[in-house]
This record gives sequence, structure tokens and C-alpha cells, in this order.
Amino acid sequence: MRLEKCWFCSSTIYPGHGIQFVRNDAKIFRFCRSKCHKNFKMKRNPRKVKWTKAYRRLHGKDMTQDATFEFERKRNRPERYDRNVTENTLKAIKKIDKVRVDREARHHAKRMKGKKAQLQREAAKELEQSIHMVKAPAALQQEPSLTLPKLKVKVSQQQTEDNRMEE
Amino acid sequence: MGGKCPHRSVKKRRYSHKTARRTKFLVKGDDAVYDELHKGEGERKQLPVDEDLPGMGQYYCLHCDRYFASVAVRDEHFKTKRHRKRLKQMMGPAPHTQLDAELAAGMGMPDNGPKLMSM
Repeated sequence: MRLEKCWFCSSTIYPGHGIQFVRNDAKIFRFCRSKCHKNFKMKRNPRKVKWTKAYRRLHGKDMTQDATFEFERKRNRPERYDRNVTENTLKAIKKIDKVRVDREARHHAKRMKGKKAQLQREAAKELEQSIHMVKAPAALQQEPSLTLPKLKVKVSQQQTEDNRMEE
Repeated sequence: MGGKCPHRSVKKRRYSHKTARRTKFLVKGDDAVYDELHKGEGERKQLPVDEDLPGMGQYYCLHCDRYFASVAVRDEHFKTKRHRKRLKQMMGPAPHTQLDAELAAGMGMPDNGPKLMSM
């Protein structure tokens, strides 16, 4: 039993799922769901469709280089069954998967941290350049021409709101 | 593409799109064309004479996978926008393959074992 990867979105295809297309030059294209199959039929390029793994890899959204990627691969050679090897492999799968998930989480956290230092620098520069627009409160009190005169406006909204509440 | 169907009164459905669909399955895929182009000049075979194809199959555009009736028609095709667009596309990076999909999914390169003696 082999778990294949979708041609379009690179997700795992479990047995009994998805659809496969064999082109007339005997090339096989596997798709995990009809969404991917339809996108293939529309001749879309997975590298340009944002939700695919190929796009995310290419644009630095996901972790690209890691030692854990070397474990899962297509092995096209027969292996003699050995109970001990199988047991160790099954143990290792859990451990390696945990390592990979942790590293991915760290990568994501790092990516989402944002450019705090750059924003801080920009804000400081703006403050320095346009400090003249800010007036000290003492200066405003001394010169009334700097502030806008306060206008008194009658508010008649109270009644309409009360009516609405009753309804 | 798509020819006119004379007996359709409904305006929306007047055009047949079946011819377009047929060509859709007959044309070579992008990756096949790309591989053919990057094989190198020496490995390419001489075009076989085929009487079913236009121009006995001698005037062929590799990029667009099309046969033409004569040199003049082919050269005219080389000047078209469609051909030049195709040319540009083929100059770019290699089309997406199953291997790319697997690498993107976090798999390593396939392990094919030791190379056997070549006969």
C-alpha cells in the first residue's frame, strides 16, 4: 500500500480516495479530490494557486529546508520483512513527526512575528519630522486661536432611539 | 474555436464547442513539449513523412505542437502572438511535475536503489 501525493495540492491520497488520470503518453496524474482535478482540467499552474503546497513552498510560507524531509520518500526497492526493523520504524515515525511539527510551528511563529523593529524605526522618524504639528497643551491654553471654538448643537436623536426601543 | 450550429434557435447555445474539446485532448501537454525542447538538437529525430498530416508532416512547430502545410504558413505562424506567447512560456521554468508535488509535500528524492548493470 502506498500513500500517494496529489499532483495539484501535494496532499496525501489514501487508498480509495481521489481520482487518477492517465494521459495518452502513459503519465499518471493523481488528484486527492475533485477540486484539484477540476483545477488541473482548467490547466492552472499549481505554483500560481495560493492554496497549494507548491505555492507556499515557493513563496517562503512553509519551511523548505529541514533534515526531517529526508525520511519520507518513495522507495522503489524491495525490502525484506524484518520484525525488529518494522517496530523501530514505527517508533521513529512518531518521534520524527513530532520533531517536524514542532519545527514547523516555530517557523510559522517566526514568520508571523512581524517587522517590529522596522515599524518602530519608521514611527520614530515620522515623529521627528512632524513634531512641529504637535503643540504643547500649555501653549494651547495661552493662545485660544490655535483651538477650534466649541459649538453647542442641540441633539434630537434621543427621542427616535427611544421609539425604536419600544418597537 | 467552436463552429456554428445552424439549427439552434437559442442564441446562447448556437455555437458548438466540441471541436475545441477534441483538440484539447489531442495536443501535447506542456511538460511533454518542454522535455522535447530541452532534449537537445542532436537527439531530435528527423520528421517522418506522414501523408495524413498537413504538408506530409514536414512543417512542424515544436512549441505549439502543430503541423503546417508549407514553410510559408509555418513562418507566418512563427510571427503570431500565440506562438510568441508560447515561446516565452517555454523559456521559463520547467512545468510542474509529480516530483515537484512530492517535494513540496515534504518528501525527499525517490530512492531507486543501486544502479544495476546496464545491458
